[in-house]
Amino acid sequence: MTGGGAEGSFGVGIGWRPEIAGFVAALPGLRFTEVIAESVPASGPVPAPLAALREAGTAVVPHGVRLSLGGAEPVDPARVAHLAAAARQLGAPLVSEHIAFVRAGGLEAGHLLPLPRSREAVDAVVANVARTQAELPVPIALEPIAAIFDWPDDELDEAAFLTEILDRTGALLLLDIANVYANARNRGTEPTDLLDRLPLDRVAYVHVAGGAEHDGIYHDTHTDAVPREVLDLVGELCARHRPPALMLERDGDYPAAATLRAELDAIAAASGYPVVT
Amino acid sequence: MTGPGGGRSLADRQAALVAALVAGAPIPDGFDPRLVGTARRALLRKRSGEVARHWPVLAASFGARWPAVFAEWGDGRPTQGSFQDGLALARSLALTGAAAEELAEREKALRPRTRLSRLLRRAR
Repeated sequence: MTGGGAEGSFGVGIGWRPEIAGFVAALPGLRFTEVIAESVPASGPVPAPLAALREAGTAVVPHGVRLSLGGAEPVDPARVAHLAAAARQLGAPLVSEHIAFVRAGGLEAGHLLPLPRSREAVDAVVANVARTQAELPVPIALEPIAAIFDWPDDELDEAAFLTEILDRTGALLLLDIANVYANARNRGTEPTDLLDRLPLDRVAYVHVAGGAEHDGIYHDTHTDAVPREVLDLVGELCARHRPPALMLERDGDYPAAATLRAELDAIAAASGYPVVT
Repeated sequence: MTGPGGGRSLADRQAALVAALVAGAPIPDGFDPRLVGTARRALLRKRSGEVARHWPVLAASFGARWPAVFAEWGDGRPTQGSFQDGLALARSLALTGAAAEELAEREKALRPRTRLSRLLRRAR
């Protein structure tokens, strides 16, 4: 993400959600936040709390969750138009979406689902990202997801799959470090191996979130505390190439303000950015 | 000779996977049934939280059992949206107390729209 402060960086942020609007508004050092794109009205006034943040100079990034860029079918033009409108409404420096699909055959999955790491899937994502970029007023950053299962016939490993999509679309990378942790833990691989192979200079910003184990699998829930291992991985990432922005992503079971502040401070400590609390 | 996925298109294979996750269809060949089952339960857990946001009293009336109550109802039923899912579940239960009142209020709020759509249908 560019256009920030002295070093062109935004430092530590937090995902804006209505339930924690008061907490977010009161953070003295906040320079960027993210809002679920589908929740932003396409026309009419920007919701007051977001307008106030914009007024105070905080960048607001629309984060789409239902575009289904990885769907085999072309993206819905109405959803693309809405994402573009949200970016304009908020004067956003960029937007973001996932490398995933969320519906198929007329059914909504209700969550982000992984793609087969195949050439055919790369082509589908690249075509949908191109259709989206054609309508967007700003760059898009693509976020790899946490996958509970893999497809049986992967042709590419994760680094090759992601790098090919980024190269062919020219998109930025929204790296979710908790997803890197979750996937490595569940697949029994080393998370730093992926960090060593991704184009870290393309990272626009980073998600940091908590999770929990169910059924012997680590789930990236966004409703639990950020584990120490994820914060350590923030340190590993920043030692390789410090991203311009990192944000805490919390989507429910909101803890006390003091707990959120401590998590933001821990991200600041792990990345070396100033505290925003 | 067939390519990856036995020659089936990506669209067909994505549809089969989503149907297995949300509509009770069989798990497509080659996937780890244990992990797909884990994902199916995780989706139900996530849906239960989203429905609880729309139906807080209904969810609270079951306390810690809510995710399990919702999962039992929602397994194999594709979502129609969190509000509609909660409405359908609430209507299927013999509710009492505050949860019954929550349902009654929602039903009341829905009624004018139903009357309007009946009028519109007749006008067609």
